[in-house]
Amino acid sequence: MELSLNHRTEGEYTVLDVGGEVDVYTAPKLREKLVELVGNGHHRLIVDMTKVEFLDSTGLGVLVGGLKRVRSHEGTLALVCDQERILKIFRITGLTKVFPIYDSLDEALQSEA
Amino acid sequence: MSDVELHLPPDVVYVGLARLVVTAAARQSGMDSARVEDLKIAVSEATTNAILAHQRVEVAMPVVLAFGPREGQFQVTIQDTGPGFDPPVDDVDGRDWTKEGGLGVTVIRGLADDVSFVREKGTQVNMTFAVGFEDNGNGRG
Repeated sequence: MELSLNHRTEGEYTVLDVGGEVDVYTAPKLREKLVELVGNGHHRLIVDMTKVEFLDSTGLGVLVGGLKRVRSHEGTLALVCDQERILKIFRITGLTKVFPIYDSLDEALQSEA
Repeated sequence: MSDVELHLPPDVVYVGLARLVVTAAARQSGMDSARVEDLKIAVSEATTNAILAHQRVEVAMPVVLAFGPREGQFQVTIQDTGPGFDPPVDDVDGRDWTKEGGLGVTVIRGLADDVSFVREKGTQVNMTFAVGFEDNGNGRG
């Protein structure tokens, strides 16, 4: 089970590409990455989950933690996700009302700007 | 048919193995792929809770998963011997989203066709999933 995390800058946004499986075993790496990015001044984040193969509530919790962190710096955290199996757990938990979620990175970059 | 049992050491590294084995058995029982995805997440949630329950009180005993097909359904039981917890009442709209934990039970309830929590010498989570023929209407199950 692997988790891949790569970030890059797109204009004023930092895009974090997440790939692989996010569960209780791998989520600490995602949490560390978000803490590191926010700590380094990246307060406008887009987490691209297009390549995520699995995500459960531990991963949701880490994303909520990331949102809290950026908001404490008046920042934003948007998600890119086009996979129904993942969107489903955002709906079940009510988190679709908490995160802006976009179908594609282009849409996220345009809408968040 | 008897259930298959999986005894997992209380280490989070094994949650992925639990997902892999239970979903393989569900596919073998004829569950459709969309439903297998739901099952996979629910198993991950319940196994995570069970393993963390053992870790919190430093119980080294294994977490036990028992699973198998039953009359057109697929049943999974996950038993821990931790101190237990009261499953939270679902209140998605009124939920304090700033809390990072506690979403697992909400997810399980949202995905399983039926779920019960039994507290006796730990917590037993019983989840039932229709094998999923209702979507294609071929009358099985």
